[in-house]
Amino acid sequence: MTTSEGELSTRQTADPKNWTNRLRGWLEGLVPKGEALPDRQPVYVASWIYVFGVLTLTSLVVVIASGFVLSLGGVSWWHVSSLGHYVNSVHLWSTELFFGFMVVHLWGKFWMAAWRGKRALTWITGILLFGISIGTSFTGFLSQSNFDSQWIGAEGKDGINSIGVGAFFNVLNPGQMLLWHVVLLPLGVGLITLWHIILVRRHGVVPPLDADLEG
Amino acid sequence: MSRDRTPDAHDFPTRRYDLVREFVIALVVVLVLSGGLAAIFSSPDTKAITMSGWAKADPENLVTTAASELAGTTTSATYGAPYNNNAEGQKLGPLLLQKWGGVRIPVNSADLVLGPLSNVSDNPAISSALATWKAATTEQRTKWATDYVDAIGTAEADGEPATGAGGDPAKVKPGDYGPVPALSAGLLALAKTGGLEGALTSSGNFYGGDQTKSLLLLSDGAYLEDLAVAQKLGGDQWGMMNEVGNAPGQPWMWLYTFWYQVKPFSTSDNADAEVWGLMMVLTLLLMFLPFIPGLRSIPRWIPIHRLVWRNYYRRTRHA
Amino acid sequence: MSGLSIVMEGPGNYINWGVIQISVANLAIIAVMVLLFILALVVPFPSHDEDSDEEGHSR
Repeated sequence: MTTSEGELSTRQTADPKNWTNRLRGWLEGLVPKGEALPDRQPVYVASWIYVFGVLTLTSLVVVIASGFVLSLGGVSWWHVSSLGHYVNSVHLWSTELFFGFMVVHLWGKFWMAAWRGKRALTWITGILLFGISIGTSFTGFLSQSNFDSQWIGAEGKDGINSIGVGAFFNVLNPGQMLLWHVVLLPLGVGLITLWHIILVRRHGVVPPLDADLEG
Repeated sequence: MSRDRTPDAHDFPTRRYDLVREFVIALVVVLVLSGGLAAIFSSPDTKAITMSGWAKADPENLVTTAASELAGTTTSATYGAPYNNNAEGQKLGPLLLQKWGGVRIPVNSADLVLGPLSNVSDNPAISSALATWKAATTEQRTKWATDYVDAIGTAEADGEPATGAGGDPAKVKPGDYGPVPALSAGLLALAKTGGLEGALTSSGNFYGGDQTKSLLLLSDGAYLEDLAVAQKLGGDQWGMMNEVGNAPGQPWMWLYTFWYQVKPFSTSDNADAEVWGLMMVLTLLLMFLPFIPGLRSIPRWIPIHRLVWRNYYRRTRHA
Repeated sequence: MSGLSIVMEGPGNYINWGVIQISVANLAIIAVMVLLFILALVVPFPSHDEDSDEEGHSR
């Protein structure tokens, strides 16, 4: 299990039975060497459609950052503070941007058939992210502690109860919904986003349909 | 497309590129956009409604709802799982999904009225009404409450004539309603003072946080729904997508809410379960698209990709 | 509340077309998304550096 240039550091051996070695080897093999943060990219990556992935990602960063600030003040802060209300507005609009950019990214990837070349899992994790994001925004709306939360909870419960899940995921329980919103679901979004990005860097950007290699 | 002959991305010629700079530029763009949109359009914050607000805005409806809880005819009383066993609940084809969830949040709808009233002290009228109710048989209670609800009746609406006292408890004809009028009026009086706000907490202690029972009572009444429908948030108004006022809602929910607007879902008793089932199937189709012949070939048949890669195609054609 | 909030107390502006009923705000968002998609496809992408002749593996 080597790192760079085939040399092991003084703290590493090549023992394949060692779990640490195996974990290190697995981690190092996730992305081809130099592909995690490359400074060159294939020549066919030359269209504005390609910016929507990073726009989605940066929107997520702003959503989480504004969420952090809201957490500092607590659940009711935005009702009583104009700064809190502004931060809430940033949280709402960055969420709208997040979904907008994500869907345009999805449209682009569909028309490029971006699942080709062993990239099915990249596509699948993307759709998974879409679904979990919807769930995260749903619990967010339930955590507003205002009329919206009351109505969305009252309506949403019927959908979730109808499939027998309502007792485990009680949308009328803001205490539970808030913790799903700030802990469990963002963790899911974060981990699957990481997975999705690792897959993109691992396989590289999908070549054009019917691409011919030069030379 | 029986065999994927996509070449390896790493085998292509490359050009200079700055990944981190692109990320930082995108971050700045998003910060400016969200900060700007937030400053211009803000975010809606319609205050939560209260029981006392309901009592003041629509006292007749609160009284009627209280009586209906005692009669066991409200939505929550006839809901089924997870609150009670009074209905089978929705099913998806032969699958009794709602029922299989089990009654794990037991709520006795009559207790939504009796519970808060039991905590009222120094009120002989309420105490006596409660005692009368407790001493009666189930059949007697149901008869009192049902007769009272019928006597209150409903106002004229949608071309249907008024029934009973036209929805006004003050105009109810004399009859044998037992303690129900006193209990219903008692709940209204309690609500008006604000005493009902925390009285239905499901948390079990001083620290609120679980509003299940309060929201069930509000949902059984008309006030919450009337306000929502006025803001076009109702289920048959594409409400899932919408927000109060002119605020943007959740446009990404368009397909989920669409099904509720059309038959057979719009007239189905199992609409929620059926729409969920349909959306699950569609989501799985989308998720596993790479493996579905035909669907996965659409990008080849409608070659929008030729726009994306036009520079590359032009160069390699002339190479 | 804060800023020049255009969010009002009354119901917002909606457009009705057959079974479709959509708020102006949501329609605007969707329209902008479609526009962005189209623009992303047709607006030329600057390819100012032509030092792209490094064959083989991109390292």
